[in-house]
Amino acid sequence: MIGRAHHLQDDRLFECYLSGLEGAPVNGLVTTHLAECAACAEHLRELVQFMDGLREEADTETDAIFTPERLRIQQQQILHRLEHLGHAARVLSFPARLMGRRMVRTASRVAPRWAIAAAAAGLFVGVGVGTLIDPARGKSAAPMAAIPLVVSPVLPVVSDPPAAGDDDTFLSDLEMALSGPRNLELMPLDALTPRVKAVSTQLP
Amino acid sequence: MSEPGPVRYPASPSAPAVAAQLPERRAATEKLSDDTRLAVEIRGLVGRGHVHEARERFSGLVIAHQRRALRIAYQYLRDSADADEAVQDAFVKVFGHIDSYRETWPFEVWFTRILINGCLDRRKARLRRDRWFVPAEEARGADEARRAFGGATDLDPEARLLARERRDRLDDAVNRLDGRQRTVFMLCHYGDCTPREVSAVTGLNESTVRVHLFRAARKLRGLLGGKP
Repeated sequence: MIGRAHHLQDDRLFECYLSGLEGAPVNGLVTTHLAECAACAEHLRELVQFMDGLREEADTETDAIFTPERLRIQQQQILHRLEHLGHAARVLSFPARLMGRRMVRTASRVAPRWAIAAAAAGLFVGVGVGTLIDPARGKSAAPMAAIPLVVSPVLPVVSDPPAAGDDDTFLSDLEMALSGPRNLELMPLDALTPRVKAVSTQLP
Repeated sequence: MSEPGPVRYPASPSAPAVAAQLPERRAATEKLSDDTRLAVEIRGLVGRGHVHEARERFSGLVIAHQRRALRIAYQYLRDSADADEAVQDAFVKVFGHIDSYRETWPFEVWFTRILINGCLDRRKARLRRDRWFVPAEEARGADEARRAFGGATDLDPEARLLARERRDRLDDAVNRLDGRQRTVFMLCHYGDCTPREVSAVTGLNESTVRVHLFRAARKLRGLLGGKP
Protein backbone atom coordinates (compact mmCIF):
# COMPACT_ATOMS: atom_id res chain seq x y z
CA MET A 1 0.00 0.00 0.00
CA ILE A 2 2.66 2.49 0.97
CA GLY A 3 6.04 2.00 -0.67
CA ARG A 4 9.39 1.49 0.91
CA ALA A 5 10.24 5.11 0.43
CA HIS A 6 7.06 5.91 2.36
CA HIS A 7 5.35 7.23 -0.74
CA LEU A 8 1.99 6.18 -2.10
CA GLN A 9 2.16 3.86 -5.06
CA ASP A 10 0.42 4.67 -8.33
CA ASP A 11 -2.48 2.28 -7.80
CA ARG A 12 -3.18 3.83 -4.41
CA LEU A 13 -3.08 7.29 -5.90
CA PHE A 14 -5.48 6.16 -8.62
CA GLU A 15 -7.85 4.82 -5.97
CA CYS A 16 -7.77 8.27 -4.39
CA TYR A 17 -8.68 9.79 -7.77
CA LEU A 18 -11.57 7.34 -8.21
CA SER A 19 -12.79 7.99 -4.70
CA GLY A 20 -12.86 11.66 -5.54
CA LEU A 21 -14.99 10.93 -8.60
CA GLU A 22 -17.42 8.73 -6.72
CA GLY A 23 -17.55 11.01 -3.71
CA ALA A 24 -16.47 8.10 -1.56
CA PRO A 25 -14.32 8.63 1.53
CA VAL A 26 -10.59 8.05 1.15
CA ASN A 27 -8.73 5.77 3.49
CA GLY A 28 -7.75 7.66 6.64
CA LEU A 29 -4.08 6.64 6.50
CA VAL A 30 -3.84 7.77 2.91
CA THR A 31 -5.47 11.08 3.70
CA THR A 32 -3.02 11.64 6.51
CA HIS A 33 -0.09 10.73 4.30
CA LEU A 34 -1.24 13.05 1.56
CA ALA A 35 -1.52 15.86 4.02
CA GLU A 36 2.04 15.31 5.20
CA CYS A 37 3.83 14.29 2.00
CA ALA A 38 4.14 17.07 -0.55
CA ALA A 39 5.56 14.73 -3.24
CA CYS A 40 2.59 12.36 -3.08
CA ALA A 41 0.16 15.25 -3.01
CA GLU A 42 1.88 16.63 -6.11
CA HIS A 43 1.66 13.23 -7.85
CA LEU A 44 -2.04 13.04 -7.09
CA ARG A 45 -2.56 16.56 -8.36
CA GLU A 46 -0.78 15.68 -11.62
CA LEU A 47 -2.87 12.54 -12.04
CA VAL A 48 -6.11 14.39 -11.46
CA GLN A 49 -5.01 17.13 -13.84
CA PHE A 50 -4.12 14.60 -16.53
CA MET A 51 -7.41 12.72 -16.26
CA ASP A 52 -9.52 15.85 -16.07
CA GLY A 53 -7.68 17.23 -19.09
CA LEU A 54 -8.57 14.18 -21.12
CA ARG A 55 -12.21 14.50 -20.15
CA GLU A 56 -12.38 18.21 -20.90
CA GLU A 57 -10.79 17.71 -24.31
CA ALA A 58 -13.28 15.01 -25.16
CA ASP A 59 -16.19 17.19 -24.05
CA THR A 60 -14.97 20.14 -26.10
CA GLU A 61 -14.40 17.99 -29.13
CA THR A 62 -17.82 16.32 -28.97
CA ASP A 63 -19.61 19.59 -28.34
CA ALA A 64 -17.89 21.12 -31.36
CA ILE A 65 -19.18 18.35 -33.61
CA PHE A 66 -22.61 17.77 -32.12
CA THR A 67 -23.95 21.28 -31.93
CA PRO A 68 -27.37 22.02 -30.37
CA GLU A 69 -28.85 22.21 -33.87
CA ARG A 70 -27.51 18.79 -34.72
CA LEU A 71 -28.83 17.38 -31.45
CA ARG A 72 -32.27 18.76 -32.27
CA ILE A 73 -32.19 17.21 -35.73
CA GLN A 74 -31.17 13.90 -34.26
CA GLN A 75 -34.04 14.02 -31.77
CA GLN A 76 -36.45 14.56 -34.65
CA GLN A 77 -34.92 11.71 -36.61
CA ILE A 78 -35.22 9.36 -33.67
CA LEU A 79 -38.87 10.27 -33.11
CA HIS A 80 -39.54 9.90 -36.82
CA ARG A 81 -38.04 6.43 -36.79
CA LEU A 82 -40.08 5.53 -33.73
CA GLU A 83 -43.27 6.51 -35.55
CA HIS A 84 -42.52 3.91 -38.20
CA LEU A 85 -41.47 1.27 -35.72
CA GLY A 86 -43.64 -1.81 -35.95
CA HIS A 87 -45.25 -0.76 -39.22
CA ALA A 88 -44.97 -3.23 -42.03
CA ALA A 89 -42.40 -2.25 -44.59
CA ARG A 90 -43.77 -0.82 -47.84
CA VAL A 91 -43.56 -3.41 -50.56
CA LEU A 92 -42.52 -2.10 -53.96
CA SER A 93 -43.99 -3.70 -57.05
CA PHE A 94 -41.72 -6.08 -58.86
CA PRO A 95 -40.20 -4.18 -61.78
CA ALA A 96 -40.96 -6.81 -64.42
CA ARG A 97 -44.62 -6.88 -63.52
CA LEU A 98 -44.73 -3.10 -63.48
CA MET A 99 -43.04 -2.93 -66.85
CA GLY A 100 -45.40 -5.49 -68.32
CA ARG A 101 -48.39 -3.54 -67.10
CA ARG A 102 -47.09 -0.37 -68.71
CA MET A 103 -46.29 -2.11 -71.92
CA VAL A 104 -49.84 -3.39 -72.20
CA ARG A 105 -51.17 0.09 -71.67
CA THR A 106 -48.82 1.51 -74.25
CA ALA A 107 -49.82 -1.07 -76.78
CA SER A 108 -53.52 -0.58 -76.27
CA ARG A 109 -53.77 3.21 -76.05
CA VAL A 110 -50.75 5.17 -77.15
CA ALA A 111 -49.18 3.04 -79.83
CA PRO A 112 -51.88 3.35 -82.53
CA ARG A 113 -51.87 7.15 -82.44
CA TRP A 114 -48.16 7.71 -82.73
CA ALA A 115 -47.74 4.76 -85.08
CA ILE A 116 -50.23 6.23 -87.52
CA ALA A 117 -48.64 9.65 -87.25
CA ALA A 118 -45.15 8.19 -87.73
CA ALA A 119 -46.21 6.17 -90.75
CA ALA A 120 -47.81 9.20 -92.37
CA ALA A 121 -44.78 11.35 -91.67
CA GLY A 122 -42.43 8.68 -93.03
CA LEU A 123 -44.44 8.39 -96.23
CA PHE A 124 -44.51 12.14 -96.69
CA VAL A 125 -40.79 12.53 -96.07
CA GLY A 126 -39.96 9.59 -98.34
CA VAL A 127 -41.95 10.98 -101.23
CA GLY A 128 -40.52 14.44 -100.68
CA VAL A 129 -36.93 13.27 -100.49
CA GLY A 130 -37.38 11.05 -103.52
CA THR A 131 -38.72 13.95 -105.53
CA LEU A 132 -35.84 16.19 -104.45
CA ILE A 133 -33.15 13.60 -105.27
CA ASP A 134 -34.40 12.83 -108.76
CA PRO A 135 -36.97 15.41 -109.90
CA ALA A 136 -36.80 14.26 -113.53
CA ARG A 137 -37.91 10.77 -112.58
CA GLY A 138 -40.70 12.29 -110.53
CA LYS A 139 -41.88 14.22 -113.57
CA SER A 140 -41.79 11.18 -115.86
CA ALA A 141 -44.37 9.47 -113.70
CA ALA A 142 -42.89 6.10 -114.45
CA PRO A 143 -44.45 3.16 -112.69
CA MET A 144 -42.85 2.38 -109.34
CA ALA A 145 -42.10 -1.18 -110.36
CA ALA A 146 -39.86 0.02 -113.15
CA ILE A 147 -37.64 2.09 -110.89
CA PRO A 148 -34.63 0.09 -109.76
CA LEU A 149 -34.24 -0.39 -106.02
CA VAL A 150 -32.02 2.15 -104.35
CA VAL A 151 -29.30 0.30 -102.53
CA SER A 152 -28.81 1.48 -98.98
CA PRO A 153 -25.35 3.05 -98.49
CA VAL A 154 -24.63 0.89 -95.45
CA LEU A 155 -25.06 -2.30 -97.42
CA PRO A 156 -21.99 -3.57 -99.26
CA VAL A 157 -22.24 -3.31 -102.98
CA VAL A 158 -21.87 -6.67 -104.61
CA SER A 159 -19.86 -6.24 -107.76
CA ASP A 160 -20.68 -9.47 -109.56
CA PRO A 161 -23.64 -11.16 -108.07
CA PRO A 162 -24.01 -14.74 -109.17
CA ALA A 163 -26.76 -15.57 -111.54
CA ALA A 164 -30.03 -16.62 -110.02
CA GLY A 165 -29.79 -20.22 -111.07
CA ASP A 166 -26.10 -20.65 -110.39
CA ASP A 167 -26.38 -21.70 -106.78
CA ASP A 168 -23.76 -24.37 -107.02
CA THR A 169 -21.14 -21.92 -108.17
CA PHE A 170 -22.01 -19.51 -105.36
CA LEU A 171 -21.83 -22.20 -102.69
CA SER A 172 -18.57 -23.57 -103.96
CA ASP A 173 -17.08 -20.06 -104.00
CA LEU A 174 -18.24 -19.54 -100.47
CA GLU A 175 -16.76 -22.83 -99.35
CA MET A 176 -13.44 -22.00 -100.96
CA ALA A 177 -13.42 -18.59 -99.36
CA LEU A 178 -14.02 -20.05 -95.90
CA SER A 179 -11.39 -22.71 -96.23
CA GLY A 180 -8.88 -20.44 -97.88
CA PRO A 181 -5.63 -19.36 -96.25
CA ARG A 182 -6.90 -15.80 -95.64
CA ASN A 183 -9.49 -17.12 -93.14
CA LEU A 184 -7.25 -19.36 -91.15
CA GLU A 185 -6.63 -16.67 -88.54
CA LEU A 186 -10.36 -16.44 -87.93
CA MET A 187 -10.68 -20.13 -87.18
CA PRO A 188 -9.83 -19.83 -83.45
CA LEU A 189 -12.53 -17.19 -83.11
CA ASP A 190 -14.92 -19.43 -84.92
CA ALA A 191 -14.04 -22.28 -82.57
CA LEU A 192 -14.78 -20.08 -79.60
CA THR A 193 -18.18 -19.06 -80.90
CA PRO A 194 -20.93 -21.31 -79.54
CA ARG A 195 -23.02 -23.14 -82.05
CA VAL A 196 -26.74 -22.82 -81.95
CA LYS A 197 -27.15 -26.51 -81.89
CA ALA A 198 -24.69 -27.05 -79.06
CA VAL A 199 -26.24 -24.30 -76.99
CA SER A 200 -29.75 -25.58 -77.54
CA THR A 201 -28.76 -29.05 -76.36
CA GLN A 202 -27.20 -27.65 -73.19
CA LEU A 203 -30.24 -25.67 -72.26
CA PRO A 204 -32.61 -27.36 -69.81
CA MET B 1 -6.02 -4.97 -31.61
CA SER B 2 -8.52 -7.16 -29.82
CA GLU B 3 -12.16 -6.25 -29.76
CA PRO B 4 -14.13 -7.18 -26.69
CA GLY B 5 -17.17 -9.36 -27.16
CA PRO B 6 -20.68 -8.05 -26.68
CA VAL B 7 -21.57 -6.82 -23.26
CA ARG B 8 -23.76 -9.44 -21.60
CA TYR B 9 -26.25 -9.27 -18.83
CA PRO B 10 -25.36 -10.88 -15.56
CA ALA B 11 -27.26 -14.11 -15.08
CA SER B 12 -30.91 -13.61 -14.25
CA PRO B 13 -31.66 -14.47 -10.66
CA SER B 14 -33.83 -17.52 -10.08
CA ALA B 15 -37.40 -17.21 -8.81
CA PRO B 16 -36.64 -18.13 -5.17
CA ALA B 17 -33.75 -15.74 -5.14
CA VAL B 18 -35.99 -13.01 -6.48
CA ALA B 19 -38.60 -13.78 -3.83
CA ALA B 20 -35.96 -13.59 -1.13
CA GLN B 21 -34.77 -10.24 -2.43
CA LEU B 22 -38.24 -8.80 -2.83
CA PRO B 23 -38.14 -6.45 0.14
CA GLU B 24 -34.72 -5.22 -0.96
CA ARG B 25 -35.95 -4.70 -4.47
CA ARG B 26 -38.99 -2.86 -3.27
CA ALA B 27 -36.70 -0.61 -1.32
CA ALA B 28 -34.58 -0.17 -4.42
CA THR B 29 -37.66 0.64 -6.51
CA GLU B 30 -38.51 3.44 -4.16
CA LYS B 31 -35.13 4.98 -4.92
CA LEU B 32 -35.48 4.80 -8.68
CA SER B 33 -33.84 7.56 -10.62
CA ASP B 34 -35.98 9.87 -12.72
CA ASP B 35 -35.05 8.26 -16.02
CA THR B 36 -35.65 4.77 -14.67
CA ARG B 37 -39.07 5.80 -13.41
CA LEU B 38 -39.84 7.32 -16.78
CA ALA B 39 -38.73 4.15 -18.54
CA VAL B 40 -41.03 2.08 -16.33
CA GLU B 41 -43.86 4.46 -17.11
CA ILE B 42 -43.20 4.17 -20.86
CA ARG B 43 -43.13 0.40 -20.56
CA GLY B 44 -46.54 0.52 -18.91
CA LEU B 45 -47.93 2.78 -21.63
CA VAL B 46 -46.64 0.48 -24.36
CA GLY B 47 -48.08 -2.49 -22.52
CA ARG B 48 -51.50 -0.84 -22.41
CA GLY B 49 -51.27 0.04 -26.11
CA HIS B 50 -50.81 3.79 -25.69
CA VAL B 51 -47.90 3.85 -28.09
CA HIS B 52 -48.36 7.43 -29.19
CA GLU B 53 -48.21 8.71 -25.63
CA ALA B 54 -45.27 6.42 -24.92
CA ARG B 55 -43.40 7.93 -27.85
CA GLU B 56 -44.00 11.41 -26.55
CA ARG B 57 -42.69 10.46 -23.12
CA PHE B 58 -39.74 8.72 -24.67
CA SER B 59 -38.50 12.00 -26.10
CA GLY B 60 -37.70 12.97 -22.51
CA LEU B 61 -35.36 10.02 -22.23
CA VAL B 62 -33.77 10.92 -25.55
CA ILE B 63 -33.07 14.46 -24.44
CA ALA B 64 -31.70 13.29 -21.08
CA HIS B 65 -29.25 10.75 -22.50
CA GLN B 66 -28.50 12.00 -26.00
CA ARG B 67 -25.43 14.12 -25.31
CA ARG B 68 -23.76 11.56 -23.12
CA ALA B 69 -24.57 8.80 -25.61
CA LEU B 70 -23.05 10.80 -28.44
CA ARG B 71 -19.93 11.45 -26.40
CA ILE B 72 -19.47 7.74 -25.75
CA ALA B 73 -20.28 6.70 -29.31
CA TYR B 74 -18.08 9.34 -30.88
CA GLN B 75 -15.10 8.56 -28.67
CA TYR B 76 -15.61 4.91 -29.49
CA LEU B 77 -16.12 5.21 -33.24
CA ARG B 78 -14.25 8.45 -34.03
CA ASP B 79 -16.68 9.25 -36.81
CA SER B 80 -19.58 11.63 -36.35
CA ALA B 81 -21.89 9.96 -38.88
CA ASP B 82 -21.26 6.53 -37.39
CA ALA B 83 -21.79 7.88 -33.88
CA ASP B 84 -25.00 9.59 -34.94
CA GLU B 85 -26.37 6.37 -36.40
CA ALA B 86 -25.23 4.27 -33.46
CA VAL B 87 -27.03 6.54 -31.01
CA GLN B 88 -30.19 6.61 -33.11
CA ASP B 89 -30.15 2.84 -33.41
CA ALA B 90 -29.66 2.46 -29.67
CA PHE B 91 -32.66 4.67 -28.86
CA VAL B 92 -34.85 2.92 -31.41
CA LYS B 93 -33.79 -0.47 -30.09
CA VAL B 94 -34.49 0.62 -26.53
CA PHE B 95 -37.99 1.74 -27.43
CA GLY B 96 -38.63 -1.42 -29.39
CA HIS B 97 -37.60 -3.60 -26.46
CA ILE B 98 -38.89 -1.44 -23.65
CA ASP B 99 -41.24 -4.24 -22.59
CA SER B 100 -38.21 -6.34 -21.66
CA TYR B 101 -36.70 -3.63 -19.46
CA ARG B 102 -36.58 -4.47 -15.76
CA GLU B 103 -35.96 -1.80 -13.19
CA THR B 104 -33.53 -4.09 -11.37
CA TRP B 105 -30.93 -2.12 -13.28
CA PRO B 106 -30.98 1.63 -13.75
CA PHE B 107 -32.18 2.68 -17.18
CA GLU B 108 -28.84 4.36 -17.81
CA VAL B 109 -27.02 1.05 -17.40
CA TRP B 110 -29.43 -0.78 -19.69
CA PHE B 111 -29.26 1.89 -22.35
CA THR B 112 -25.47 2.19 -22.19
CA ARG B 113 -25.13 -1.55 -22.57
CA ILE B 114 -27.21 -1.49 -25.75
CA LEU B 115 -25.27 1.48 -27.06
CA ILE B 116 -21.87 -0.09 -26.40
CA ASN B 117 -22.88 -3.33 -28.08
CA GLY B 118 -24.00 -1.34 -31.11
CA CYS B 119 -20.69 0.53 -31.17
CA LEU B 120 -18.73 -2.72 -30.92
CA ASP B 121 -20.69 -4.16 -33.84
CA ARG B 122 -19.99 -1.07 -35.89
CA ARG B 123 -16.28 -1.17 -35.12
CA LYS B 124 -16.11 -4.77 -36.20
CA ALA B 125 -18.04 -4.02 -39.37
CA ARG B 126 -15.72 -1.12 -40.10
CA LEU B 127 -12.63 -3.28 -39.63
CA ARG B 128 -14.06 -5.79 -42.07
CA ARG B 129 -14.94 -3.04 -44.53
CA ASP B 130 -11.55 -1.36 -44.27
CA ARG B 131 -9.88 -4.57 -45.39
CA TRP B 132 -11.52 -4.13 -48.78
CA PHE B 133 -12.21 -0.45 -49.20
CA VAL B 134 -10.22 2.71 -48.83
CA PRO B 135 -11.56 4.61 -45.79
CA ALA B 136 -13.56 7.73 -46.54
CA GLU B 137 -11.00 10.44 -45.88
CA GLU B 138 -13.41 13.19 -46.83
CA ALA B 139 -15.76 12.45 -43.95
CA ARG B 140 -12.88 12.12 -41.55
CA GLY B 141 -11.42 15.35 -42.84
CA ALA B 142 -14.71 17.15 -42.30
CA ASP B 143 -14.84 15.88 -38.73
CA GLU B 144 -11.31 17.01 -38.11
CA ALA B 145 -12.05 20.42 -39.52
CA ARG B 146 -15.02 20.82 -37.20
CA ARG B 147 -12.99 19.59 -34.28
CA ALA B 148 -10.13 21.91 -35.07
CA PHE B 149 -12.09 25.05 -35.82
CA GLY B 150 -15.47 24.54 -34.24
CA GLY B 151 -14.31 23.78 -30.74
CA ALA B 152 -11.43 26.16 -30.40
CA THR B 153 -12.27 29.26 -32.35
CA ASP B 154 -10.73 31.44 -29.69
CA LEU B 155 -7.29 29.88 -30.19
CA ASP B 156 -4.67 31.13 -32.60
CA PRO B 157 -3.70 28.85 -35.52
CA GLU B 158 -0.62 27.51 -33.79
CA ALA B 159 -2.56 26.57 -30.68
CA ARG B 160 -5.25 24.96 -32.81
CA LEU B 161 -2.65 22.93 -34.64
CA LEU B 162 -1.13 21.81 -31.37
CA ALA B 163 -4.55 20.89 -30.02
CA ARG B 164 -5.27 18.88 -33.13
CA GLU B 165 -1.97 17.04 -32.89
CA ARG B 166 -2.66 16.28 -29.28
CA ARG B 167 -6.08 14.87 -30.15
CA ASP B 168 -4.56 12.69 -32.82
CA ARG B 169 -2.03 11.39 -30.33
CA LEU B 170 -4.82 10.75 -27.84
CA ASP B 171 -6.85 8.88 -30.47
CA ASP B 172 -3.84 6.77 -31.26
CA ALA B 173 -3.13 6.09 -27.60
CA VAL B 174 -6.74 5.10 -26.84
CA ASN B 175 -6.77 2.83 -29.88
CA ARG B 176 -3.72 1.07 -28.54
CA LEU B 177 -5.50 0.12 -25.35
CA ASP B 178 -6.61 -3.45 -24.91
CA GLY B 179 -10.29 -3.97 -25.85
CA ARG B 180 -11.60 -4.27 -22.31
CA GLN B 181 -9.38 -1.51 -21.02
CA ARG B 182 -10.70 0.75 -23.74
CA THR B 183 -14.33 -0.05 -22.98
CA VAL B 184 -13.87 0.45 -19.28
CA PHE B 185 -11.90 3.65 -19.77
CA MET B 186 -14.44 5.11 -22.16
CA LEU B 187 -17.43 4.27 -20.05
CA CYS B 188 -15.83 5.65 -16.94
CA HIS B 189 -14.17 8.62 -18.49
CA TYR B 190 -16.45 9.73 -21.28
CA GLY B 191 -19.67 8.11 -20.12
CA ASP B 192 -19.42 9.49 -16.58
CA CYS B 193 -19.96 6.03 -15.15
CA THR B 194 -18.64 5.02 -11.76
CA PRO B 195 -16.70 1.75 -11.57
CA ARG B 196 -19.78 0.15 -10.07
CA GLU B 197 -21.92 1.26 -12.99
CA VAL B 198 -19.25 0.10 -15.44
CA SER B 199 -19.30 -3.22 -13.65
CA ALA B 200 -23.07 -3.41 -14.15
CA VAL B 201 -22.77 -2.45 -17.82
CA THR B 202 -19.98 -4.82 -18.70
CA GLY B 203 -20.70 -7.65 -16.30
CA LEU B 204 -17.13 -7.48 -15.02
CA ASN B 205 -16.26 -7.57 -11.36
CA GLU B 206 -15.98 -4.11 -9.87
CA SER B 207 -12.41 -4.70 -8.70
CA THR B 208 -11.56 -5.93 -12.21
CA VAL B 209 -13.00 -2.72 -13.58
CA ARG B 210 -10.79 -0.72 -11.24
CA VAL B 211 -7.73 -2.67 -12.31
CA HIS B 212 -8.53 -2.18 -16.02
CA LEU B 213 -9.11 1.49 -15.42
CA PHE B 214 -5.85 1.93 -13.57
CA ARG B 215 -3.89 0.09 -16.26
CA ALA B 216 -5.56 2.10 -18.99
CA ALA B 217 -4.73 5.37 -17.26
CA ARG B 218 -1.15 4.30 -16.66
CA LYS B 219 -0.71 3.26 -20.28
CA LEU B 220 -2.24 6.48 -21.54
CA ARG B 221 0.01 8.57 -19.35
CA GLY B 222 3.00 6.64 -20.66
CA LEU B 223 1.93 7.06 -24.28
CA LEU B 224 0.99 10.68 -23.98
CA GLY B 225 4.17 11.73 -22.31
CA GLY B 226 2.87 12.01 -18.79
CA LYS B 227 4.33 10.00 -15.96
CA PRO B 228 3.50 6.29 -16.33
